[in-house]
Amino acid sequence: MHNYDIIIIGSGPGGYTAALRAANEGKKTAVVEDRKIGGTCLHRGCIPSKTMLQHAEVLHQVEGSAAWGIETGDVSFSYTAMLERKEKVVSQLEAGITALMKKGKIDVFPGRGSVNNEKEVTVEKEGQTERLQAPAVIAAAGTSPFVPPVSGLRETAHFTSDTIFEKRELPSSLLIVGGGIVGVEYACLFAGLHVDVTIVEMQEDILTGEDKDASALLRRSLEKQGVTVETGAALHDVQTKKQKAVTVVYTRKDGSREEIDVDDVLVTAGRKPNNAVLEDTSVQYVDGFVRVNENMETSVTGLYTIGDLAAGGWKLAHAASAEGITAVEHACGLKPSIHKSLIPRCIYTFPEIAAVGMTEEEVQQRGYDYKTELIPLQGNGKAMAMEVSDGFTKIIVEKKHGEILGAVLAGPHVTEMIGEPAAYIHLEGTVDELASMVHPHPTLLESLYEAARSWIGKGIHH
Amino acid sequence: MAKEVFMPKLSSTMETGTILQWMKNEGDPVEMGEPVFEVMSDKINIEVEAYEEGFMLKKYYNVDDVVPVNTVVGYIGEKEENVPDTPPESTEDSESDAASEPEQNEPAAHGTESSSVRQVERGQIRATPAARRVAREEEVSLSDVTGSGPKQRVQQQDVRDFLQNAPKPPKATPLARKWAEDQNVDLNTVEGSGPVNKIYTKDLSAAQEETVSSEPDRIPVKGVRKVVADRMAESASTVPHVTLNSDVDMTEAIRLRSQIQDKVVEQTGSKLSYTEIIMKAVAAALKRHPSINASLSSDQQEILLHRDINIGLAVATEQGLVVPVVPSAGEKGLTALVKESKQLAADARNQQLNPQQMQGGTFTISNLGMYAVDGFTPIINQPEAAILGVGQMKETPTARNGNVELRPLTTFSLSFDHRIVDGAPAAAFLTELKQMLEAPYELLM
Repeated sequence: MHNYDIIIIGSGPGGYTAALRAANEGKKTAVVEDRKIGGTCLHRGCIPSKTMLQHAEVLHQVEGSAAWGIETGDVSFSYTAMLERKEKVVSQLEAGITALMKKGKIDVFPGRGSVNNEKEVTVEKEGQTERLQAPAVIAAAGTSPFVPPVSGLRETAHFTSDTIFEKRELPSSLLIVGGGIVGVEYACLFAGLHVDVTIVEMQEDILTGEDKDASALLRRSLEKQGVTVETGAALHDVQTKKQKAVTVVYTRKDGSREEIDVDDVLVTAGRKPNNAVLEDTSVQYVDGFVRVNENMETSVTGLYTIGDLAAGGWKLAHAASAEGITAVEHACGLKPSIHKSLIPRCIYTFPEIAAVGMTEEEVQQRGYDYKTELIPLQGNGKAMAMEVSDGFTKIIVEKKHGEILGAVLAGPHVTEMIGEPAAYIHLEGTVDELASMVHPHPTLLESLYEAARSWIGKGIHH
Repeated sequence: MAKEVFMPKLSSTMETGTILQWMKNEGDPVEMGEPVFEVMSDKINIEVEAYEEGFMLKKYYNVDDVVPVNTVVGYIGEKEENVPDTPPESTEDSESDAASEPEQNEPAAHGTESSSVRQVERGQIRATPAARRVAREEEVSLSDVTGSGPKQRVQQQDVRDFLQNAPKPPKATPLARKWAEDQNVDLNTVEGSGPVNKIYTKDLSAAQEETVSSEPDRIPVKGVRKVVADRMAESASTVPHVTLNSDVDMTEAIRLRSQIQDKVVEQTGSKLSYTEIIMKAVAAALKRHPSINASLSSDQQEILLHRDINIGLAVATEQGLVVPVVPSAGEKGLTALVKESKQLAADARNQQLNPQQMQGGTFTISNLGMYAVDGFTPIINQPEAAILGVGQMKETPTARNGNVELRPLTTFSLSFDHRIVDGAPAAAFLTELKQMLEAPYELLM
């Protein structure tokens, strides 16, 4: 039995951040990981897809650059080389995290971990078991792609975000099951690499739960990129009938039945929690996710759950990191040094969508007296220079005190810009302060300033 | 040498001030720190104190005069000193000085170097010039400092002592400050949860939960509230009010409004409301009944029958009741009335009225028709002779040509000052007004 101060099961952005924070407090820390250090985010999620999206974006720009007087001749690309670069980025980051773990004297136990109510952790690897114990254990085992029970789907060869880059050749056509954040990102990525993409989404809209103006804009933009978007559609059957092709049958929103042949099927229909890690505990669940208090502690004292496993909160990498810091600080008896309630939401599509705070729907439900201001990017000098046609900045502001309740940005690289409205909300600056702050020109972010000025009735251009 | 007494600039938006009272007559001795006159800006009433010892040599303006800021309103100096008979032109220097001076919470010395007065918030801070200078430099509010000098005058050392002992002002987020102001929470009583104890809004709700008590909220009576309080008390206690009520059938007024509504919107961008139709009718009725368009002179020796018909509109604002005036309402058509009254009401609600816009009224209309109010007894806006209260429009069973019909009736309540006008002429005016509104087409002629 190895004794530690804190044991963390899982080394994704939640787990490894928690481990580094614990080491930082001088705690004897162990991490259990049955795959590679870095978790889904680094190996099968955020980082690989963002690297590949970067490739698609550059390709798109190069292909469109003739109109700007840039002569390239015929443009071609190597998907394999793109994958290799992606793997290089991932391994560099993995090496970085591994070095940080080493520096923090954090012991890494490879193997599958599970915990019991006594906070004993069992690590299993190739039939061998090791036992660890600590007064505080953090379960950060994350989630795995969920494959819905559609006739033939589970039996037919299909990809998930875990496996999509394992195939080294680019398909010529791709069906994406699910139009949530992950689905639309892969749709942009593959459409950008000239794959014929179809999204089949059961809900009435893509990106349900996100701002309606943003999802409408993204839908138009996807269609402009040649993506077929079928919402309110039901997937019936997936079969391998022909050589090298998957036949997919679905019903359109209007009731008509469609049968198409595609090279590959990518399932992005949500994720299911890796609860096995907590099987031997008496923690409580809410809709399949672990019930936690504001310190991320479960109903078992000293046992914490963070990230995708925990009920409530956003299933996003940076949310998991913030929760990891919260859990460790609580376990160390410290005051929390991070506010985990305000989580910016970033969608890496073309155009990107970034939002923070409440959506307009949520503001309505909570009964706020509010007013929105939406400034399109058309007419913005920097946007024109970049030849951007799709995008806007929207602020949702409470009327009495000018409290900024939410902000939504759509446009190129807006994920880099959401930090400004987020900072205003975090520091409780109101629309008046936002409108009184000089913004640099020319920038896309001027539209945020315009929105604020316009909201207070002192708009310059709007 | 005699020193000028200036009209102070009390805020960045203040352009004129109204002299409310003189505390000193010409020839009176003046001690340093004594109040000389009281001024009302659009925001606040302030007593202006003498900076010099001497005698009040000259006063150029009377009570209720509206004087541009930085204008010389009088002189203080040695007895027999010569001063101009008319107020000197304010120099470029003094204007630019005043304009460049930043607005301060603390009414410190404004105007020019040679100014012989300073302003003091009504009945409060007395301080030596040196104390004021230090307070200004250190951004201390003199009202927070206990004075150790004669008559509690604040001395320079008092400010220095205060600075040494004073707790640092609480740090709070902009949103928390707005909340605190709105909810009347003293930030000094709140413990901040942020870095360096910065106060966030969640700390306010925590503090409020702690301090739930039966103590009433205390709101100081000042500014607009103070003006309303004083004027209402004075009017109610000195003016013999009589209120006449009459039900007006608004059927035709409704028809008129709907028929010309589109045209009015097209021309003004605003909707025609009943207030403007009533205002138009009141103006026309006042033309025929000049004894109602009257006021009592300030010495109460004369009745003034006004040639202009300037109609005040009572407007409720967050700060309290204000009465902006539509000048020469008798000469204006409905579209002009719509434009002006909408603008005045908006300015009133945004606190952007200047004092001139609230002066010169000869008659006031107070419309509570948007509430479930039938009739009421409005208090006269002195020195005017009468005020009209307008209630809600209500479908009422009415006897008509031997039948009972439902007609939209509105109760008009006319309060008049029985010192100025008697019951019969007031009743005749109200009757004429009723007839005009029941056959309103003649208003358009």
